[in-house]
Amino acid sequence: MNNKGIDRQTLEELEQTAVRELGEASDIGAIEELRVKYLGRKGSLTLSLRSIGSLPAGERPAMGNLINEIKGKLSGIYSARLEEISANIGDPEPFPGDHALPGRVFSQGGLHVLTRVTRDIKEIFFRMGYSLAEGPDVELDYYNFEALNFPEDHPSRDSQDTFYVNRDILLRTQTSPVQVRYMEKNDPPLRIISPGRVYRNETPDPSHAAEFHQIEGLYVDRNVSLADLRNDVTFFIHSFFGPDVKVRFRPHFFPFTEPSAEVDMECFGCRGEGCSICQKTGWIEIMGAGMVHPNVFKYAGYDPDSVTGFAFGMGIDRIAMLKYGIDDIRRFLANDIRFLGQFWSGSWAGVQD
Amino acid sequence: MKVSINWLKKYVDIEESPEALASDLTMFGLNVEGVEDLGADYSGVVFGKVVECGKHPAADKLSVCKVDVGGAKLLDIVCGAPNVRVGLSVAVAVDGAVLKDGFKIKKTKLRGEPSEGMICSETELGIGTDSGGIMELDLELDAGADLSGLLGDDDVILDIEVTPNRPDQLSHLGIAREIAALYKRKLREPETFALEPEEVYGIDIEDPEDCPRFSAAFIDNVTIVPSPEWMQKLLLSAGVKPISNIVDVTNFVLMELGQPLHAYDRDRLAGESIGVRRGHDNETIITLDETERKIDPDVLVIKDQDGSVGIAGIMGGADTEVSDKTTRILLESAAFGPRTIRRSSQSLKLDTEASYRFERGSDVSGTVKALERACWLIREIKAGIPETACRDFVAKPEAVEKTKITLRIAQANRLMGTHLDGDDLSSLLERLALDCEVSEDEVIVIVPGFRRDLKEEVDIIEEVARLYGYENIGREEYLRGNVFSKISTVDKRNEEVRSFLASRGFAEVITSSFMNMEDPDRMGWSESDFRSRPIRLENPLSVQQSAMRTSLIPGMLRVISRNAPAEQEGIRIFEMGKVFLPVNGGESLPDEQVHLTAMLSRTAVPAQWIDQSREVDYFDMKGELEYLLDRCAVRSELQIQRNKEEEPAYIYNWLTKGKIIAISGVIPSSVLKNYEIESPVHFFTAIMDVMHGAGFEEPRYSRLSPYPQVKRDLCVVAQERVTFADIRRVIEKRAKFLESIRLFDYYQGEALGEGRRSYTFSLGFRSRDNTLDDGAVDKVIQKVLNSLQRELQVTLRRME
Repeated sequence: MNNKGIDRQTLEELEQTAVRELGEASDIGAIEELRVKYLGRKGSLTLSLRSIGSLPAGERPAMGNLINEIKGKLSGIYSARLEEISANIGDPEPFPGDHALPGRVFSQGGLHVLTRVTRDIKEIFFRMGYSLAEGPDVELDYYNFEALNFPEDHPSRDSQDTFYVNRDILLRTQTSPVQVRYMEKNDPPLRIISPGRVYRNETPDPSHAAEFHQIEGLYVDRNVSLADLRNDVTFFIHSFFGPDVKVRFRPHFFPFTEPSAEVDMECFGCRGEGCSICQKTGWIEIMGAGMVHPNVFKYAGYDPDSVTGFAFGMGIDRIAMLKYGIDDIRRFLANDIRFLGQFWSGSWAGVQD
Repeated sequence: MKVSINWLKKYVDIEESPEALASDLTMFGLNVEGVEDLGADYSGVVFGKVVECGKHPAADKLSVCKVDVGGAKLLDIVCGAPNVRVGLSVAVAVDGAVLKDGFKIKKTKLRGEPSEGMICSETELGIGTDSGGIMELDLELDAGADLSGLLGDDDVILDIEVTPNRPDQLSHLGIAREIAALYKRKLREPETFALEPEEVYGIDIEDPEDCPRFSAAFIDNVTIVPSPEWMQKLLLSAGVKPISNIVDVTNFVLMELGQPLHAYDRDRLAGESIGVRRGHDNETIITLDETERKIDPDVLVIKDQDGSVGIAGIMGGADTEVSDKTTRILLESAAFGPRTIRRSSQSLKLDTEASYRFERGSDVSGTVKALERACWLIREIKAGIPETACRDFVAKPEAVEKTKITLRIAQANRLMGTHLDGDDLSSLLERLALDCEVSEDEVIVIVPGFRRDLKEEVDIIEEVARLYGYENIGREEYLRGNVFSKISTVDKRNEEVRSFLASRGFAEVITSSFMNMEDPDRMGWSESDFRSRPIRLENPLSVQQSAMRTSLIPGMLRVISRNAPAEQEGIRIFEMGKVFLPVNGGESLPDEQVHLTAMLSRTAVPAQWIDQSREVDYFDMKGELEYLLDRCAVRSELQIQRNKEEEPAYIYNWLTKGKIIAISGVIPSSVLKNYEIESPVHFFTAIMDVMHGAGFEEPRYSRLSPYPQVKRDLCVVAQERVTFADIRRVIEKRAKFLESIRLFDYYQGEALGEGRRSYTFSLGFRSRDNTLDDGAVDKVIQKVLNSLQRELQVTLRRME
């Protein structure tokens, strides 16, 4: 704009153009551009005001007032328009086609069913006051057998076909070695669970795998009794499988507990009537348990006369199979995506209120 | 252990049904794994009389009969047998009966004529081979009488799981003793022929530990014929094949008392003495099963004057075996060291009913009683005439002494959570034939020879708990102290990482801990690479599972390969699991590290109507890893270096403070080919142990500034040797007020000239103290530019 050309008519034309443009502007960007164009530091009105000095002194006040008047007016329109546009950022164009089309799809993923079941089991025991302890998969014969009161050259070792690395090192056949490892490093009282992978040299079939998972529990205190064991184990089964499930303890033999028990729960398939799931017995074996054998305490450096304790162990894969009716234990490590995907949706529904 | 209920009834009254007995035994600690009713196959088979018999109107070979089975109405039965006729007594399978082969009888129509059952042949009943016609019964019963007892064996077999600590239960008497204790009934001991130990024969034991006791009885006037039917029947029901009277007696006593016996042809033993010694190297012996076996010093043998005549506690020799010509017998009843027999059996790879019992521990005090029982049976079945004098040599006297165990009453109650007194305890224990002496605080328990598994106090407590009933032990008081759980941070973080990746669209997989010894080669790992030298198993299931994995990658590649046909468009999987890194050349326990490996392959986003599908690339993988590291709050500076050893493969090490925290890259196509994978696979592995050390800091709060952010875009040009990380580092170091930095454009190409790249950053500045003005930001930018120029020779291309 020519400074010299500043006159009333030009300013009025400028005002009209600006008012029209502000009225036409439909988004914040355009409004903002107009503000810069007319009202900004280098905008036309600002420049006009600066060039007022070139006018004869008598015309300056009137022209100054006029410019400020226009500036005020445009500022007002600008603010009003800005508010108007901001208040109505505009609805997005409605989609003109089929509204039933699917939304954008993302990659699907989820946790492995064994992870989910392990978590659910851990959660229950954590609430009961159990802490987590872990041990190695590749283990010393000492912890897997000897310190658990399995004598060398004894047939009780036969029940667990073992993978050996050498004479002293093997793949643990149970999560129980964690018991002695943990007791060696911690003083009673203690309450732990220990999930992990175990190995048996067995030819795989639908109910046997060479690699599977167990969760071990151990509670040692001054006066822990068989009654406490029944209490904790029953609470777990009721929490996991439902409060009405019947539970029974049946005498059994394990070298590292005495008295020992196998724990059965009422078959959920038939409610104890007998069906193919429970092989017509009405009961499903769910875990092994018992009072910690005094020899195990001795190996761990505890005095069996001053503490008592219980231990239990169960198969995670087996529990997952029972819970979801999975027919083949080998599914777990086969990782067929079609299998994995069945367990991505939904969540814990063990016990309803 | 298969036990016959009929056999058990010889020693104890059993009124319960087999099912009830099985269930009670199970709850008593004798887990009954199966109940087989030998008569069950005949339920629904009844006695019938053919009353009418005519030709089938539509089939020449069939007859239409009316049969009386005791009901109000005669049954219509269509029969195909040529011998069917009026007046015949027959076995009729009525509606609902299930025959041997599982064939179920139903009311039906045959060629238009109703048939309400089946007249059975011998084959159909599974009791004979005559299928030429129906079985003609030669007996008179009421029509409709149940034939199951007559046709089949009315015995029921229990399959009992005997735990390795209870060798006494490997016998019918032992099980009967448990039943007597369970139901508080009297046990009837079997009849015996009294023997008198005398020095009538030489016995030579090399080591009392190997053979604590050796007893022998002598039978004359032996006639070898088959044993009587009742004995054969009981043996068969216990799963033992009858052979001849003498051998059957030894097997009968084995199954009855659990004591293995062996009969020698006395005339074929050299000299008037027998003994036990360890085998010699290079010795061989032909055993009963006509197999020549190599003996070594791990094997215990029975010797006569000339040499070895049998393998002690496992199997006799062929030379001294009882035969048709045998007239005099030496009957051995010995006790052998359990460990010795186990070693011996493992060394020979031979196990028998005898070795099974000896390695679990036989009743040393019961050897003579077993001979007395065998002699009684031999006389009873007229197989020979036993001599009254026997030979009994006790090599280890303490093995036959009765042991005493002190049971503290308070300890029993503490362990069980009960309130029993001394008399309660003793009356429970006496049911198991354990004699007790009760004092104020203690019960002294006298343990008989057949219960050598009872060694210490806790063993007795277990017996008490079993007799008292686990189900009767309730929670009477809650004695536990306060043991609160601690949260395992490592476990919690690992679980969070798993959930994070799952929500990022990765499928969690869990693969085998084993690896194939061909994996190192397939993966292209050099021989010196530690991953090529895993922990090996001595006795693997297969070569594919012969070592412990040193990397999650091979197993996960197998998952991708296996899922290839599953029409999966994109593959996103992860596994968090242990790898086993050898320590000390595999002589010590390995270093078990938790790795997290993620793999991406094929499409990055599923093909869909609204967006274009595209292949996964390096930056998809890198973005996921960076996001993960950010989530795990790994804040220390990361250096990414290409792994020179793996070249030409594109493998990068991510280092923090000199430690590898992650490895990322592309699986070389040469490797993919070995795993039969056709699409590129991008992967990263995070070393969780290092992650736990370097990250997972608690979040920190910082006050929010009320002042506005100022944005600037900065475009710079760098030489090829300079990386994005270098430039960002300089900017972050020099730019005061910098709040955010994002690269939003990158270019390399002709317009810039060779070896040059341009990077465009969007920078956000904010002060905590005031609104930044242009001048202040300009100054900061200038400083940054100066540093970039000075340190990296990076120049400004454009600024907005």
